[in-house]
This record gives sequence, structure tokens and C-alpha cells, in this order.
Amino acid sequence: MRFRFNGEVRLVASAILGAAILAAPARAEDIVIKMWTLDNNGYKEFIAEAAESFKATHPNVSIEHQIFPGDPYKTALKVALVGSDGPDVFFNWAGDRATQLVKDKLALDITDYGDVPGGFAKVLPQGLLDSFRYDGRLYGVATDAVTKYVFYDKAYFAEHKLELPKTLGELGGLCKAIRQIDPDTIPMPLGNKTRWKAIHWMTMLNERAMGVEATAADYDLSRPADQLYTDPGYAKAFQALIDLQDAGCFEDAPNATEYAIADSMFITRASPMEYCGSWCTSALDQAGFTDYGFFRLPVMEGGKGNPDANFLVPEGYQVSAKTAHPQEAVEWLSFLVSDEQALKFAEKVQFLPSNTRLIDKAEGVPQSFKDIASEVATVKEGVNVLDALLEATVADAYMNATVEVLNRTLTPEAAVGKVREAALAVQAKK
Amino acid sequence: MPFPPTSKPAGRRPAMKAGAVSATAMMAPALILVGVFILIPAIVAVIGSFFDFSMTSANWTYVGGANYRRAVTDPLFWLAISNNVFIVVGSVISQVGGGAILAAILDRGIRRGGVFYRTIIFMPVVISSIAVAFVWMLILDPNVGPLNAVVKALGLPTPKLGWLGDPSISLWMLLLIAAWQNVGFQMMLILAGLQAIPKEHYEAASLDGARGLKAFWYITLPGIRNVLVLATLITVIGGFKVFDLVFVTTGGGPANATQVLGTYTYTQAFSFGNMGYANAMAVVLLVTAALLGWLQVRLSRRG
Repeated sequence: MRFRFNGEVRLVASAILGAAILAAPARAEDIVIKMWTLDNNGYKEFIAEAAESFKATHPNVSIEHQIFPGDPYKTALKVALVGSDGPDVFFNWAGDRATQLVKDKLALDITDYGDVPGGFAKVLPQGLLDSFRYDGRLYGVATDAVTKYVFYDKAYFAEHKLELPKTLGELGGLCKAIRQIDPDTIPMPLGNKTRWKAIHWMTMLNERAMGVEATAADYDLSRPADQLYTDPGYAKAFQALIDLQDAGCFEDAPNATEYAIADSMFITRASPMEYCGSWCTSALDQAGFTDYGFFRLPVMEGGKGNPDANFLVPEGYQVSAKTAHPQEAVEWLSFLVSDEQALKFAEKVQFLPSNTRLIDKAEGVPQSFKDIASEVATVKEGVNVLDALLEATVADAYMNATVEVLNRTLTPEAAVGKVREAALAVQAKK
Repeated sequence: MPFPPTSKPAGRRPAMKAGAVSATAMMAPALILVGVFILIPAIVAVIGSFFDFSMTSANWTYVGGANYRRAVTDPLFWLAISNNVFIVVGSVISQVGGGAILAAILDRGIRRGGVFYRTIIFMPVVISSIAVAFVWMLILDPNVGPLNAVVKALGLPTPKLGWLGDPSISLWMLLLIAAWQNVGFQMMLILAGLQAIPKEHYEAASLDGARGLKAFWYITLPGIRNVLVLATLITVIGGFKVFDLVFVTTGGGPANATQVLGTYTYTQAFSFGNMGYANAMAVVLLVTAALLGWLQVRLSRRG
């Protein structure tokens, strides 16, 4: 019998087709992962290219990437996560900020999603996994770590036969020597108007004075109230900052100087040194300044710190507890820290990736980046930064106390007293 | 003879009703906006001020008046209030006083180029506070700012801690920036008031022997009284509400020296997560602004 494709059949077929279309589940392309990060050099390009590559295995997933400047990001993120239109995955610093989101049930427990073949938990080193661990569970994926060094102008040092310092006292001596060469040259501009530059100094000066172990119980407020922040090392660390200021290391008004101005002083070679983050290398290279070296903040004479310890702050991504696509979100993050993408991250963003398996193969990055990567590998003990590590009000008190020490409106002992007061208030609430 | 009916004619009622309906309809968009963006948030802030909660936490714990009691014992709250009062008093003197002087000069003292000077002085008013703050941050920078260069060129000492880094100077600098931005607005208000005084008044007074200071005291001042009250109240309310300029320029620093109620409320809410306490401070600010607003309406009615 010949099948006749007459009008009635067409009508029925059309109806069935229409119903099928209507009844079909939403197209897989509908999955959109909204991602929020900071606005760093090369970040946008890296995420855009990675999102394209991710489509090879996840053709149904699109990445919607939004970037923010640093300070507004902290507030915007909190507002967005509480609201209904927040990101699925977002950048965060390891430490108190990440932990607070876990406590408020805004960050997703991603342990089980990540602990699968190809998952981030199989790729990242234990130390970096732990940076986002809370109560034994994983609440984030470390993507990179930032560190700090004293960067110096090699040509200037060679011209004036200056030697790299081995102790903080020698660093002060170096500043004096530079001031003798030209009193108007600021040896190591600070730029503490927004307060975070000096707290980075205090992070390492505390380590150099007392070591990581000795401060841990104060930082997490687990020490008994009568002993909290009573180690004389804290005042010694503040005194070390004053000594460097007295040696002429910093500009006259560090608390009125923007960090960008301080950075530009070193970039334009008006100043021969700057204590700067590993993120500074890309700005230096973009400015065409490549003849620079770097060294760790030297040890403190009589200090109890570990010379092998250095500033090392893990950063990474967390997943919103409200995401509708936890599986895809974590797969995207696992993809970002895979060997291949970590290498591209290093090449494009010039940040030290959490997965360093292929770092030696990085192309198009300055030699300094590779040197820093090698140097970081020798760090035996990471020191997390105080403004991310401490509870918010204690961190604020620490930053204000540091401002006042630099302004000489507080003695080191009084400054520690202010920090202790804030810490006791928070501890009492707990 | 029958008296005319004392009640309103029945035929006007539908017309009045229709008028009320159309008035309500025309006001509805504004009322809805005020309700959604001012009234409801204000009510939520008042309610929130009796609870302890963080922005990222779903748990609200009722604490009664604890947040208000905390404010009373918080030295930073009082520092912020005193800084607000300093800014209010300083702004009234610099902006209303300065505006009055500039207006008088433009009204009587300048014969040519009045429009040019008026435009130049008014120009900062139309620039956003954020942009103004950034421009002044550069001007006041101790390393590359032109102000330090000028002061040094004059052989004068510059502040060692910087214009914005010295706690004893930074609040004055904020006053200066606010005056630079807003004096033009006050000048325009007062100038309009001055120009509204009929010239005949001065001529008549002159015939009676009232000139100079007497004319100013008995004619000019009463003539611009309402404008001065308005300008002062706008400045006072602005001084209590100030936020963006302080937030961008000093962030409340150095070490809280320039903290005002607006920035301290923000810090408590968004940096420390103390939303209940921040709400309590916002309510204090709201009540202050509402009282001043009421005073403004009352004084302008009396005038």
C-alpha cells in the first residue's frame, strides 16, 4: 500500500512535531555559569579562551564572565550572594573572607564534586587544597598564590655598588646609603593610603619576629584571653617598621600616598626598590622595565622567624550555594586548574598557578616570572596576609594601628594594645 | 427671600472627584517610587535596628535597643557625629557664607564678565562628587600633587604626613573640597534672591537716608532671608549625609580621623557585617535628616 502524505497526515505530523518541540527539555545550551572575578591583566582573555575550550567537553555550558575592581568587589559579592542574581562561581581570597561565606552557608561544599577523576582535588597539592578547607570539607579551588618580594633596580645597584641585604638592619642601612647618594630619592616607596600595603609589611614582620607557629593562636583567636596578643614580638615587629621609616626607606607621607603612585615610582625608576607582589611583574614588563631583581624580606636580627617562610596567599574560586548547576560549575573550575589551563593561566595572567606541573613550559612570560616560580618552590612555610586571615574588625584595628605607628601617633606597644583590644572584643562575642 | 444653599452644588462633586482621581493618578508614579525606594527601606532599617544580623546571614536575632545602646557607648560613633557637626558648621560658613559673598560681588561688584565668572564658579556643581574626589586626591598628593609644589615654591612648609594623611588637617581638606564643589550652588541661590529684591526698595531707602550697611541690614537681609534659610538647611542636611566625598578621598582615615556617620555606617554594614548596628546608625541619620527637613518646611512656611 502506498503511503499517502495527504493533508490530514501532515496536520497530525505537524501537531506531533510541535508537541514534541514544546515538550522537549530545555536545550542543553541553556546552562549558563555566571562567573565573577577581579579585573587583573589578561584575566578576561584567559577566561574567554578557556570557556571556548571547555565547550569541547561541555557543549551545553556557556560561561558569563564579569570582572570587578578589588574593593567594590568585596561588597558587591556579599550583596549578590544574598540576593537572587548572584554568580555561580566567584573569586575569593583564602582565609576569613572565604570561611565567613561557608559559615553563612553561601559557599557550596564541593568536596564530592571535586574528588573524581579529573577533578581539582586530584590535581592540586594538599597544601593549596587545605587553604579552602573547613571542618574537613572543601569549599573552594585554589587557582593561584600571590607572594611578595623586595624588587630592586639591578642597574642602580650595580652603578652604586650596593649589596643585597641579609637582615632587616642591613635593609635599613641600604636605605640610608641610597639617601646619601641622593636625599630626594625615596629608596622604597610604601603607598599606604588604602592601608593594605603596610599590613603586608606587618604580615611578614610578625613572621620575622615570632614565626608562624607563635602567632597562629592569636590570629585565629584560640589563645586564652589573658595571653592574646601579649607576645612582645608584635611590638618588636612594629618597631622594625619604625626603624625602616627612620632609616629613610619610605616617603614622608606614606599614609597619604596611593599605592599606584608608589608603584609608579619604582616602575619609572625614580625609586630603586619596592616591596611588591608577584603580580607586579606584568606591570613592570608592560612598562618595558625588565632589568630588575628581587629578594625575600630579610630576617630580623634576633627574630624567631623562619628564613624559608615567605608571604604566600592562596586565591581561588568558590561556588555559590545557590547555584542551579553545581556539577557543571565544579567541572568548570576543575578544568581551569587542569595542567593545560594552568599553563595558559601562567602565560596570560602571569600569576603563579596552583597547578605548577607544566610551569617550565610557559612561553611568552618574562624570565622574572619563571624565577619567581622557582623561588616560590623553595618556600617551606607560607605566610597568609593579615587582612585576609584575621577577623574583619581585628584586621581593621591592625591596619589602623599600623597607620598610627607610621604617623607616630601610637607607640608600638600602644598599637599592639589596640589590636589586642579588638581581638578581645571579638573573642568575647564567640 | 430664600437664602442660597450653603452646601456646595451637587453638580461639582463629580468634577472634584474626577480631579482627585486624576491628581492621584499623576502622583502615583512618584508615590510608588518614594514608597519602594525610600519608605519601605526606611521601615526595614528601623525594624532591622532592633535585630542582630549580618548581610550574609539568614538569622535575625532580636536584641531590643542594644544597637542604640552600643552606639551611645561607641567612641567611633561619637567621633563620626562630631566630624559631621564639624563639616556642617564648616560648610555653612564656607559654602553659604562664601556663596553670599560671591553672590554680592557678582550682583553689585562686577560690571563685566558676570556670566563668565558665574559659569566658572558654578561648574564644579555639575561634576560628580567621585570625579571631584579623584581630582583633589591628585592635587593633594604629597609626592606628585601640584599643591605641595606651589607651597614649596612659596617657601612654606608642607605637612609632613600629607594633606590627607595628617589627622589634624585631613578634615579641613574635606571641607575645602566640599566648599570648592558646592559654593557655586549656594552662590546661584543667593544671587537669585538678591536679584529678586526690587530696586525701588533701595531707591526709597536711599531717600530716607538708609545706605550701605543700613540698606543691607534692613532691605537685603530680609529680602534674602528665605533663601539663606533654604541654603543653610540644604547645606546642613548635606553635611550630615556626606558619604561619597569622604569615602573616596580618605575612606574615613587616617585611622578613623575623618570617619563620618555615612562612612562608619557603611563600614559596620559591609566590612564588619554588623547590619543591625549599621541600621541603628542609619536610623539616627534618618531622624536627624527628617527633623532638619521638617525645620526647613516650617521655616519656609513662616517666611
